[in-house]
Amino acid sequence: MFGKLSISLFVLIIFYHDLSDAQKKKETLLSEKVTQMMEWASKRSVIRMNGDKFRRFVKAPPRNYSVLIMFTALQPQRQCGVCRQADEEFQVLANSWRYSSAFTNKVFFASVDFDEGSDVFQMLNMNSAPTFLHFPSKGKPRKSDTYELQVRGFAAEQLARWVADRTDVQIRIIRPPNYAGPLLLGFLLAAIGGLAYLRRHNLEFLFNKSVWAFSALCFVLIMTSGQMWNHIRGPPYAHKNPSTGQVSYIHGSSQAQFVAETHIVLLFNAAVTMGMVLLCEAATSDMDIGKRKIMCVAGIGLVMLFFSWLLSIFRAKYHGYPYSFLMS
Amino acid sequence: MKSSPNKGVLLQYWLSGALGGWGGTSDGKHKASTNAGGSVHGNSRPGAAGGGGGKVGLSGGLTQPAGWQSLLSFSILFLACLAGFSSRLFAVIRFESIIHEFDPWFNYRSTHHLTTNGFYEFLNWFDERAWYPLGRIVGGTVYPGLMVTAGLIHYVLNLLHITVHIRDVCVFLAPVFSGLTAISTFLLTRELWNQGAGLLAACFIAIVPGYISRSVAGSFDNEGIAIFALQFTYYLWVKSVKTGSVFWTIGCCLSYFYMVSAWGGYVFIINLIPLHVFVLLLMQRYSRRVYIAYSTFYIVGLVLSMQIPFVGFQPIRTSEHMAAAGVFALLQAYAFLQYLKDRLTRQEFQTLFFLGVSLAAGMVFLTVIYLTYTGLYVRLLTCYAKIHIPIIASVSEHQPTTWVSFFFDLHILVCTFPAGLWFCIKNINDERVFVALYAISAVYFAGVMVRLMLTLTPVVCMLSAVAFSSVFEHYMGDDTKREKPPEKAEEGLGPNIKSIVTMLMLMLLMMFAVHCTWVTSNAYSSPSVVLASYNHDGTRNILDDFREAYYWLRQNTDEHARVMSWWDYGYQIAGMANRTTLVDNNTWNNSHIALVGKAMSSNESAAYQIMRSLDVDYVLIIFGGVIGYSGDDINKFLWMVRIAEGEHPKDIRESDYFTPQGEFRVDKAGSPTLLNCLMYKMSYYRFGEMQVRRGALTPPGFDRTRNAEIGNKDIKFKHLEEAFTSEHWLVRIYKVKKLDNREPLDHKLRSVVPKQKYTSKKVPLMLGGEFALQVWRDSFRFS
Repeated sequence: MFGKLSISLFVLIIFYHDLSDAQKKKETLLSEKVTQMMEWASKRSVIRMNGDKFRRFVKAPPRNYSVLIMFTALQPQRQCGVCRQADEEFQVLANSWRYSSAFTNKVFFASVDFDEGSDVFQMLNMNSAPTFLHFPSKGKPRKSDTYELQVRGFAAEQLARWVADRTDVQIRIIRPPNYAGPLLLGFLLAAIGGLAYLRRHNLEFLFNKSVWAFSALCFVLIMTSGQMWNHIRGPPYAHKNPSTGQVSYIHGSSQAQFVAETHIVLLFNAAVTMGMVLLCEAATSDMDIGKRKIMCVAGIGLVMLFFSWLLSIFRAKYHGYPYSFLMS
Repeated sequence: MKSSPNKGVLLQYWLSGALGGWGGTSDGKHKASTNAGGSVHGNSRPGAAGGGGGKVGLSGGLTQPAGWQSLLSFSILFLACLAGFSSRLFAVIRFESIIHEFDPWFNYRSTHHLTTNGFYEFLNWFDERAWYPLGRIVGGTVYPGLMVTAGLIHYVLNLLHITVHIRDVCVFLAPVFSGLTAISTFLLTRELWNQGAGLLAACFIAIVPGYISRSVAGSFDNEGIAIFALQFTYYLWVKSVKTGSVFWTIGCCLSYFYMVSAWGGYVFIINLIPLHVFVLLLMQRYSRRVYIAYSTFYIVGLVLSMQIPFVGFQPIRTSEHMAAAGVFALLQAYAFLQYLKDRLTRQEFQTLFFLGVSLAAGMVFLTVIYLTYTGLYVRLLTCYAKIHIPIIASVSEHQPTTWVSFFFDLHILVCTFPAGLWFCIKNINDERVFVALYAISAVYFAGVMVRLMLTLTPVVCMLSAVAFSSVFEHYMGDDTKREKPPEKAEEGLGPNIKSIVTMLMLMLLMMFAVHCTWVTSNAYSSPSVVLASYNHDGTRNILDDFREAYYWLRQNTDEHARVMSWWDYGYQIAGMANRTTLVDNNTWNNSHIALVGKAMSSNESAAYQIMRSLDVDYVLIIFGGVIGYSGDDINKFLWMVRIAEGEHPKDIRESDYFTPQGEFRVDKAGSPTLLNCLMYKMSYYRFGEMQVRRGALTPPGFDRTRNAEIGNKDIKFKHLEEAFTSEHWLVRIYKVKKLDNREPLDHKLRSVVPKQKYTSKKVPLMLGGEFALQVWRDSFRFS
C-alpha cells in the first residue's frame, strides 16, 4: 500500500519535473522575446519587421503580447500617397503609446514594408496596402482584427478606438504640437517689432489710415471668399480628372469649393472693390483730367468685368440660376 | 407678387433721385461741397428717368429744398418698407397663411399659450407635453420677447375691435418688423455717413436675401424681430456716443433690453460695444461723451438684461459678458487718470503714470484678454471644433460658409462693401470706428457659421450703401447746370462718362433687385410644412401629407398618447397634433435624444424594450421614397446612429450600418444591421409590394430618393402595427402594441388545493415577480 503510493508519487514528481522543464523553457523564450521587443520598441516606437522577424515574434506561439502591424509600401517607387499619410498617423499613435505613462509590454506596434517582407504579404494572402492587422496575444486573429480602413479612415483617433476595442488598452492620442502657426506668428511679431524699432523716431505709420484700411479689407476679403470653409473642411486645391488629365479649378456643386476657386473669387471681389474705390478717386482727386478719366474708365471697367465674371462662375455652380450679365 | 421686382427697380430710380441730389449736403465731410440749390437741380435727371418724383423737385424745390427732401426721403423709406413687406409674402400667396418649418411652431404654440392664459401663467409654464417623461420649464428657458411682442399686438388689435387670429399676427410679424429694420438701418447709416447712403441702405436691407431668409411671412422666429432690435440698439449707441447724452443712452439700454428678451444673439452687442470703447481708447479718442455713454449703458443694460428669467445671473457669471465688465473697469481707470492729469504736475503725473498705468492697465488688459480669449472668442472661434459633437454637427446651419452662400445671400453687396469699409476707415471718426469693428467681427462670424450670415447682412447693406452713394454723389450731379460759376481749373469728367457710369451702376442695382426677388421666390419661401411639386406643364401639386398626418393624430389618438419621432418633428407634433413628444427641436438633453436614436437604430425587439420603458404609444417617421423627398428619416438616419453611438457605444456602432466597402446602401448589398433596424423596417414596411411609378420599368419597392430597389421586402412586425400612412407615404405612423397576454400553458396546470394557496403565494416571491404574477393568476383562475 505504502509502496504503491510512493511509486505513484515518484511518477508524479518526475512528470511534474518534466512539465516544469518545458514550462521553463517556454518562459525563458517568452521573456527573451519580450525583452527583445522592448529593446526595439525603446529605439523606435514602430518596430520595423521583415519576414524572419515577423515569423519569429508574431507568428510563433509563445507570446503574451498583442502586436498591431501596419502593412505598407513606403518605398518611393511604389508611389503610395495614402501609405505615407497612414504611416504618419500610425507613428502618432505608436508614439502616444510609447511615451504614455501607461506603457507596458502588452502591446507593440510594428510595420512591414512590402519591399522588405513581401513573403509576409504572400503568407497572409494580402494584396493591398496600407492594411492594419491586430495579432492578439491569445488565439487566432478574427475578422474584426482587420481594421476597416475604408469605413473608419486612418486618423490616429480612430485607430486608437480600434486598439482600445481589440486589446483593452486605452491610448490617448497626443499629437506633436504644430509649430508652424506660432512660429509664423512669432516671425510676424518680430517683423512688426523690428519695423517699429527701425522707425522708432517716427511712429506715424501706426496712424496711417491706408495701412489699417488695407488690412481690414484683406481680412474681409479672406472671409467672404470662404477661406474659413477651406480651413475647416480642407478641400483639395483643384481637381484633376484622372482619365482626361484635365484640371478643374471650380467645383461643380454649390455645396463645396476648391481652394483655387476661393482664391479666384477673392481676386474678383478685390477687383470689384478696387473699381469702386477708383471711381471715387477719379471724381475727387486733384490729378489732371486725362489721368482721372483713365482712372474712371478703368474703375467702371473693373467693376463691370469682374462682377459679370463672378456672376458667370456663380451661375455655373448654382444650377438653374437664370441671370447673367455680359458673359454667360 | 409680380410687381415686386418692378417695385425694386422703381425704388432704385427713386433713390437715384435722392442720392444724386443730397449726397454732399447733409454731411460736409466730402470734397464735393455742393450747395443746396445745386443739389436740387440734380433731381431733375433721374426724375426724367423714373417719372413723377423729380418734377416737383424742380419747381418747388428751388424755394424750399428741405421740405422736399424730407417728403422724398419719407416716401422712399415708405416704399422700401412696402417692398420689403410684400416680397416676403410669396409663401402666403402661394400656399396660405401658415406657420413655417420647425421652431416657429414652438413659438406659435407658446404665443398661443400666452394669449389664452396670460403673461404670468406663461412665465410659469411647465410644459408636460414635451420631453416626456421629463417635461420642460418653458417660461424659464425661452427668450420671451417674440411671444410678448406678438401677444401685445394681438391684445391691442383686439382692444380696437380688430379681431385677428393670433396665427395671423404671428405670420405677419416678421415682415412688419423688416419694415422697422429698414427704418432703423436708415437712421444708423445716416448717423454714419449721410442721408443718401441711409436711404440706399434701407432699400438694400428691405430686399436682401440674407435677411429675408429669416423673416418671410410665416417664419415666426426670434431672428425676425431681433435684427430690428440689433440695428436700433446700434443706432441709439452711435447717437449716444455722438451726443454724450444720458437720454440717448437710456434709450439704447431699453432697446438692448428688448434685444436681450428677443434673441440669444444679444451677446454680440454686449461684446461689440465694449470693443468699440476699447478701440476708441487705444486710438486716443477718449472723450467725456464716450465715458458717459458707456458707463450708463453698462450699468443700466446689465441690470435690465438680468430681468429676463432665461438670462438671469449670466451677465455677471459667464465669460461672454466679462469683456464688457473689463472694459468698464478700464474706462473708469482711464477717466480717473485723466482727472489726475489735471490736478498733478507733469513730473508727478509721469511717475504715477508709469507706475500705476503699467500695473493696473496691464492687469486689466490681461484679464480682459484672457477672459475674452478663453470665453467668447474661443467659444466662437472653435464653434467648428465642436463639430465632433454629433448633435451640433447634424444641424446644417452650423456649418461654415462657402463663398457661394455669401454671393447667394448678398449678391453685388458682397463685392462692394469692402469699398464702403475703405471709405469709412479713410474718413475715420468715432462712429465709423464702430461700423468698421462691426463689419470685421460680423464677417468673421459669418465665415464660421452659415447661420450668422444674418448678423453680417445689416452691416454689409450699410457699407455697400456708403460705397454706392459715394459713387452716385460724384457721378450723378449734373455740373453743367450748376448755378454757381464753374471754378477756374475744376474740370469735370464730362457728362458722357458720368452718365455711362451712372447707368451701369443703376444696372447693377437693378440686377441686385432682380436677384433678390428670384432668390426669395425660389429658395426662401417654402413653408416646408406643405410641399409643392410641379408637373411638366407647369401645374402644381400640393403635398399636404404632414398636416394630414398630424391631424390624424389629433383626431384619432388618445389625448395623452406619447409619440416618438426624431427630434426635428417634435415641435410640429406638439403644435399641430397636440400630442406628447419625447424629444423636440430644443435638443437640451442629448442622452434622451440618443435613447430615441438608439431605439430607431436597434432591431425591433431591442427597440421595443426601449419604447416600453419610455411609454411610447405611437412612432412617427418621415419617408420620402415614394415621391423622392430627400429630407426624410432614412437620409438623416446616420445622424441618429452617430448620436446614439455617442451615448451607447457598446450597443450601436456606426460601422455596422455600412457595407464592407464603406457605403450606406438600402438595397440588397446593404449591411444586415441596417436592413433589420427599426427605422428601416418602419420606412419600408409594405413598400416592397408597391410599384412606385406605374408603367415605368422600375421594379416594385424602388426607392426614388435613393434610386435603389430596397433590400428587405419581407418585413413583418411583432410589436408594432401600422396605424396610418399619409397619401404620398410621406408620414407613416405606427402603433406600439401593448404587452401580449401570457400564452396559456400547454401542460396541465397544477391542481392547487385551497389550503396551499397561501404557500403558492409565498413561494413565487422568492422566484421573482414575473413568475409570482403567473402563478397568482393561475391560482386565481382556478380558485
